[in-house]
Amino acid sequence: MKTNIIELKNVKKTYKMGKNQVDAVSDINLIIYKGEFVIINGASGSGKSTIMHLIGCLDVPSQGSVLLEDRDILSLTKSQMAKIRGKKIGFIFQQFNLIRTLTALENVALPMEFQNNYIKAEERAKELLELVELKDRMHHKPTELSGGQAQRVAIARALANNPEIILADEPTGNLDSETGEKVIEMLYKLHKEHGKTLIIITHDTNFISKFRNIARIIKLKDGRIIYGKK
Amino acid sequence: MRLTKSFKLSLNILLHSRLRSWLTIIGIIIGIAAVVAIISISEGAQQQLNSNLGNLGADTLTITQGASRAMGPGDFGRGTEESSSTTSKNLTSKDILMLKNLPNVEYVMGQISGREDLTYMTKTATLEIVGVDTNVWKEITTEQLASGRFLTNGDTYSVVLGGSIVSSTFKDGIPLNSQIVINGKSFKVVGILKEGRSVYMSIDTAKTVLEISEDKFDSISVKLNDISLSNDTITAITNRLMLSHGIIDSNKKDFTVSSPTSMQETIQQTMSTMTLFLGAIAAISLLVGAVGIANTMFTSVLEKTKEIGIMKAIGAKDKDIMIIFLLNAALIGLIGGIGGTILGFFASEAISSLGGISTTTSGAGRGFLGGFGSSSYVSPELIIGALVFSILVGMIAGAIPARKASRLNPVDALRYE
Repeated sequence: MKTNIIELKNVKKTYKMGKNQVDAVSDINLIIYKGEFVIINGASGSGKSTIMHLIGCLDVPSQGSVLLEDRDILSLTKSQMAKIRGKKIGFIFQQFNLIRTLTALENVALPMEFQNNYIKAEERAKELLELVELKDRMHHKPTELSGGQAQRVAIARALANNPEIILADEPTGNLDSETGEKVIEMLYKLHKEHGKTLIIITHDTNFISKFRNIARIIKLKDGRIIYGKK
Repeated sequence: MRLTKSFKLSLNILLHSRLRSWLTIIGIIIGIAAVVAIISISEGAQQQLNSNLGNLGADTLTITQGASRAMGPGDFGRGTEESSSTTSKNLTSKDILMLKNLPNVEYVMGQISGREDLTYMTKTATLEIVGVDTNVWKEITTEQLASGRFLTNGDTYSVVLGGSIVSSTFKDGIPLNSQIVINGKSFKVVGILKEGRSVYMSIDTAKTVLEISEDKFDSISVKLNDISLSNDTITAITNRLMLSHGIIDSNKKDFTVSSPTSMQETIQQTMSTMTLFLGAIAAISLLVGAVGIANTMFTSVLEKTKEIGIMKAIGAKDKDIMIIFLLNAALIGLIGGIGGTILGFFASEAISSLGGISTTTSGAGRGFLGGFGSSSYVSPELIIGALVFSILVGMIAGAIPARKASRLNPVDALRYE
């Protein structure tokens, strides 16, 4: 039996661009099941990022509804949304988005501290850094890490609160193909071995051909889903 | 998020902030230093004043010539000025006689003063000559001897010198028992006081030296038996002198009776007015410092927009961000406060040591006016107050920027480059 984890119903998101209203996405109907591996693909400007923001509880739809474990995010307070982002979702960004002034260890511990999970924060952060094979770099700052290392720290950080969903936005975009491969392997392993719902957003078509048989591919064009709706 | 963790994060921001934060801190340092210096100098002066008035003897009243006004705030200086310019009836030996048998009066002493050249060896200086009643001077004065003795009955050509004359006016010093010359007459130095710049001698000799022939005194000091009855005694003295001077309307008195307490009140009033004025200037500099903090915080929020977005994406609540930035502003305030307190302490020490050298007032005024600025006092309350205040200034100035930071939309913040 498949459980819905995220459901988008007739979602529309409109942005104001000066005087004009621009529909970033519209008519989005999408269900993502628990433990699924989904790749959302589309050219730039196709609405990928908007979808990611909506799934990640970073933004709310202009019309329609986004349900996270059957709860409408529009009904949540800002602080409840923050809590969901912290506990249920682990973000991985193209630009790593680590806090520059904190060490790798502090970066990984941070999401736990925001959830007041401070008792085991440091211990768990060390374990997670070990998982991404960076325990020896834990006292280094992001500027002292290579791109691949920084992205692995970001993966460890995404796992901090043991979230249901891992949401990766162009995770290999800033990496060379070899390190990118390693990062993707790591993410796939999390999905396969730990049963995490893995959502990767990418414009990279090579990527898609590689996972064609494993992941559900959703294609976006001009703010609409053209393929993979299910 | 736990407060200690928020504090660590805000400290992290501060430590990694650029020169700008430190320049802002300098602004706060200057503001707090000004406040601390002003308050500590004024508190020090207050303490000195109190101890000086204690020395003077709270049990001694001073009667001076001149239009008597109720000694209100700020009138102290003017009252004495008027007294010297009055040509109405002088204080005479008849007045002294009339006061001597009043109840609660222990000693009465008339005093005259003027300026005359004093020559020792080859050096000459113009100094204040004070003529005192040799019988009662040692009972009434609060001056302390450094060496030798006070004047006693029968000391005609003997003088007691103020300590500063020996230590600074005549740099080579004047030894005890040496001979000095004033207005062509030779005197023997029988005593040297710890402080002061006046030369004390018997009143009769002083009249000769100062070429005063009439029967008048510049002031009369009255020592009381019981200080708790001083108000009654002041009334009694006033009535007796009005009678002696033939004055009926108490508004037309030609003399002033002042007690150390009334002087103290007047001086304190004047001083608190001054402190308030200086404090207002210091407050303005603090206000400028606070605007500086607000400015720095706004820039800091702008600079940290992306990181705020990241923190929100990984689960930071608005409140968490708000607290981090508020603490950051409070930290700027606190560091400014610590620096300002230290700087203020040294500044007040420096100012008061300058003040100590330049105070050259004489007579009764020496104690009070010399007291202003001759020492500073940084109390623990002042330090704590300054630190709490600087933290508050920081937090108030940082409140709006912190609120702005906490309300940033995570999507926009994440996109910010």
